[in-house]
Amino acid sequence: MRSLTIRDLSKTYFDAYAGSHVDAVRGVSLEVTQGEFVSLVGPSGCGKTTILNMIAGFIPCSGGEIRLDGRAIHGPGPDRGVVFQSFALFPWKTVLDNVGFGPKMRGVPKAERDRTAREYLELVGLAHAADRYPNELSGGMQQRVGVARALANNPEVLLMDEPFASVDAQTRMTLQEELTRIWQERRPTIIFITHDVSEAVFLANRVIVLSKGQILDEVDIALPRPRVWDKLHEDAAFKSLSGKVLQLVRSA
Amino acid sequence: MTLLLKAWGYYARVSKRWPVIETLVPFLPLIAIWWTVAELQIFPPAFFPGPAEVAQSFWTLLYKGILTAYLYDSVVRLAVGAAAGIALGIPLAILIGLNWRAHLALWPILLFFQAIGDIAWLPILLIWFGFGLTTMTFVIVYTVLFPVVLNTVLGVRSVPIELQRAAASLGASRWRILTEVILPGAMPNIITGLRNGLGYGWRALIAAEIIVGTSGIGFMMFDARRAGSVVEIVVGMIVLGVLWYIVDNWILAPLERATGERWGLVTK
Repeated sequence: MRSLTIRDLSKTYFDAYAGSHVDAVRGVSLEVTQGEFVSLVGPSGCGKTTILNMIAGFIPCSGGEIRLDGRAIHGPGPDRGVVFQSFALFPWKTVLDNVGFGPKMRGVPKAERDRTAREYLELVGLAHAADRYPNELSGGMQQRVGVARALANNPEVLLMDEPFASVDAQTRMTLQEELTRIWQERRPTIIFITHDVSEAVFLANRVIVLSKGQILDEVDIALPRPRVWDKLHEDAAFKSLSGKVLQLVRSA
Repeated sequence: MTLLLKAWGYYARVSKRWPVIETLVPFLPLIAIWWTVAELQIFPPAFFPGPAEVAQSFWTLLYKGILTAYLYDSVVRLAVGAAAGIALGIPLAILIGLNWRAHLALWPILLFFQAIGDIAWLPILLIWFGFGLTTMTFVIVYTVLFPVVLNTVLGVRSVPIELQRAAASLGASRWRILTEVILPGAMPNIITGLRNGLGYGWRALIAAEIIVGTSGIGFMMFDARRAGSVVEIVVGMIVLGVLWYIVDNWILAPLERATGERWGLVTK
């Protein structure tokens, strides 16, 4: 059962200042099966966010193709939920209405989408904040809303673009643990972009290391779940896997 | 010292209960100075009437029904003109803000006509439409249009792309992205545009009434000049200021508080 198939994907930009073409992504092929948790890790400029934006349909690809359950992707769509680094919550909507936005676009009646939204707020531990506005929440809480909003739309793939990069270190660890718990409960397919090696290893089943727009290597992460930082922090297997990925990233 | 503090505490409590006091108090020294200058008769009283004469004239005009009738005329003209200006301006601005071809084609034209101020249109409008409502409405619509368009374009363009992408990836169509994301996102700028537009429109209306009018506050003031009644001119000036304060404070400011400030897009 294949969920997402990326074949020979490439992206070429024209850099108007340099007056030349830049190959941001070069021939990336990748298979992500349903229910898998994959991390894409690499230094800035390695093309990881460009890849995610192409999967999300925000930017067109220059070559190759992306298929979701056999269907080619054209433009953004509700089958691919996105969690943004900047949270991208709608400031003029309450937390409840933010989470209920996807169902609203599908024409789900108000009472039903409120119920769905409350269920997903419960999942991320924010049931009490339903009637607040995003600017009244901390960064960590805002991103919980972002995750709930994406999940409430029941996407086939969840695309996460450095979602925890703009929260403080302690909150980040909590969010990472919560995400692994949610993944275990619901088994969404997740593609997670990060430049943080330990984050990638902590979360994923499989870490893909990118370099200069190409896949350098991939590492399977067979660590047991549930994963919590208190245990993994000093875990020998975690350390050796992190070390291995870090070496790959540094050689990139 | 303690007495002063007590008095201040009392004032703070009272003005908290009746916010209108906070608005009126700053005017007390202004009126006091006006009164003093008038009482000293530095200028002849016919040229420089004091607050008492102006207040009396205000009551007389109100009692005769002239002031209310003229005020009604002016406000209706402004409301009609502003509504038309907004109805034209916001869709135009959305088109320019979202479509680069429309921007390319319309922006220079917009700036060109912005430079031809409202009053500069009056000579040709008088020839075309004569001394009437058409001329006045044209001037107000024209004046309201530019601040609304320019600010709305700015607002539309400053809605973060991430929010539009988020909406699209949640299944929003282009139309829903417009209504659910771009319009609310542009709302603080739209309100600023309305605020400026109405302010300029109000001034343009008075100017138009002075030149074109057969009624209205501007006409009243200019008519008073013909009769040499400085008191009535001053009444008109005060009415203008008070009315604008009311519009701004009771309509525009609450609108701003309910949108941009509430959402954290504008700092309080």
